[in-house]
Amino acid sequence: MLGLSIANVSKVWNPDGPNPVPAVTNLTLDVALGEFVVLLGPSGCGKSSLLYIVAGLEDATSGSVTFDGLPVTQPSPERSLIFQEASLFPWLSVRDNVGFGLSIKGGQPGARKDKVDALLRMVGLGGAGDRRPDELSGGMRQRAALARALAMDPKVLLMDEPFAALDIQTRARMQDHLLTIWRASGASVLLVTHSIDEALALADRIVVFTARPGQIKAEITVETPRPRDLRSPEMIDLARRCEALLAEEVTKAFKEQELL
Amino acid sequence: MSDNTVQTGAMAPKRKPVFAAKWLAMAQSVGWAMLSIGLFVAFWEFAWWRGWANPLLLPPPHIFLANLADQVRFFDPNGQRIGALSEGGSIWSVLGVIGWSSMRVFVGLLIGFAASVIVGVGIRYFNIFGKLTLPLITMLAPISPVAWLPVAIFVFGIGNPPAIFLVFISIFFVMVLATLSQIDAVPKHYIQLARVMGASKRQIFLRVILPAILPGLFVTLRMNLFGAWMVVLIAEAVGVGSGLGQVTMMARNTFNASLVFFTMTLIGLTGFLFDQALRLIQRKVLWWIGPSNIGAL
Repeated sequence: MLGLSIANVSKVWNPDGPNPVPAVTNLTLDVALGEFVVLLGPSGCGKSSLLYIVAGLEDATSGSVTFDGLPVTQPSPERSLIFQEASLFPWLSVRDNVGFGLSIKGGQPGARKDKVDALLRMVGLGGAGDRRPDELSGGMRQRAALARALAMDPKVLLMDEPFAALDIQTRARMQDHLLTIWRASGASVLLVTHSIDEALALADRIVVFTARPGQIKAEITVETPRPRDLRSPEMIDLARRCEALLAEEVTKAFKEQELL
Repeated sequence: MSDNTVQTGAMAPKRKPVFAAKWLAMAQSVGWAMLSIGLFVAFWEFAWWRGWANPLLLPPPHIFLANLADQVRFFDPNGQRIGALSEGGSIWSVLGVIGWSSMRVFVGLLIGFAASVIVGVGIRYFNIFGKLTLPLITMLAPISPVAWLPVAIFVFGIGNPPAIFLVFISIFFVMVLATLSQIDAVPKHYIQLARVMGASKRQIFLRVILPAILPGLFVTLRMNLFGAWMVVLIAEAVGVGSGLGQVTMMARNTFNASLVFFTMTLIGLTGFLFDQALRLIQRKVLWWIGPSNIGAL
């Protein structure tokens, strides 16, 4: 099967310690080729853990993750990762940051530079290649991180609250940007967020998580064509549904924290 | 400056004032430095003039800087026995003495820096090596380099090696521990991203961890530079027989206060220049760290 397939995955942090923490329990989820799936859930519900497992950075305690039919055992450039912080290397120029993965792969420096410059233009940083990361604004940095991920020609973009650190206006712009790039690249996206608006603006399918340990509470398919008007009655309805689903889980999470 | 570089054209005519402002800022900082030293000298001279400071014990600068020819003859790059008149006597011999001391500090720092980074990285990368060495290093770290002096002389005899060894000791343990903490402080995401982009363990070390830890290590190196200078003087006074430390010790033994203060002035100036040089290297090699993060002066 093409695409990403997560089957019965469980993850327990610190399994042999005195306080094992179950992060994800028995989770099954398929992401089709080119699909945009948003994982929506309260903070600390294991969404990020799932993303790390899919990236191959962490092993699942049980269950399996396959990509295009092959089991995921280690990180791979075809499953690119984007964090909340851009995490650009401060000692490299923006161009060298975007080209980092390509230079690891080797190949012609000339061709590499052309590709990187094309990517920088694509994310709207055409003139910023020679600048240092700390000279860029948060939004620009995150776009550079996006370009860096795209440079590897990924088949899946794994995004862990990528826009959470940005202000609301920048965030909306970045979401538009991401949609454009997603359509152009044909990659699948698995994006983690706790913002209902973000989920509604972006997703083909919203997967609502329960409080920890993370399980799938509900799946909502959004068929409205993009760009979506979040103030349309239809979207407001969806937002209410998501809100209700989330509210239960947030309450649960709070109760659990109080007990601890 | 960095922010302006991207906007060409419109910003170009503004370069000049920026340049002038830079000079003005530099002149100002030099002015303050002069004032800071000048006030100290003035107070000293005043104390001498009032008769509070005995010129035999605390000769003020105008005395110990006055008769340079007389001072300079005590400087012999090859070292000198107490009391004997040396072959020194020119500005070159003074520079030679400074040069020897500087060489010992420089070589000691270089070996110490390289060795500590290698050992620190080894500890983090090779579990067994870490378990075998870390307890020992943590135990040896608090021992003052001065306590190593007899060991240095037993093992290396008299000459350059014990002095270089002491400089090495004065930074090695601190720098190993600094390397460990720097490695632990490398953001996890850097390494995860490099792994996702297909970097091997070696590539991650050379292209992510090393550049990430170097700035912090350089700051530690600079902070320990003055310690290295203190140690080299002690080594020279006791176990080398040449260098600024030897001159100071000889001046002490011959009750030549004027020479003591003259040598102290030279030591202060050399140490200052060392720090400036390290700062320059830091700025050129570690260009991604802004000047604001480099430290005072």
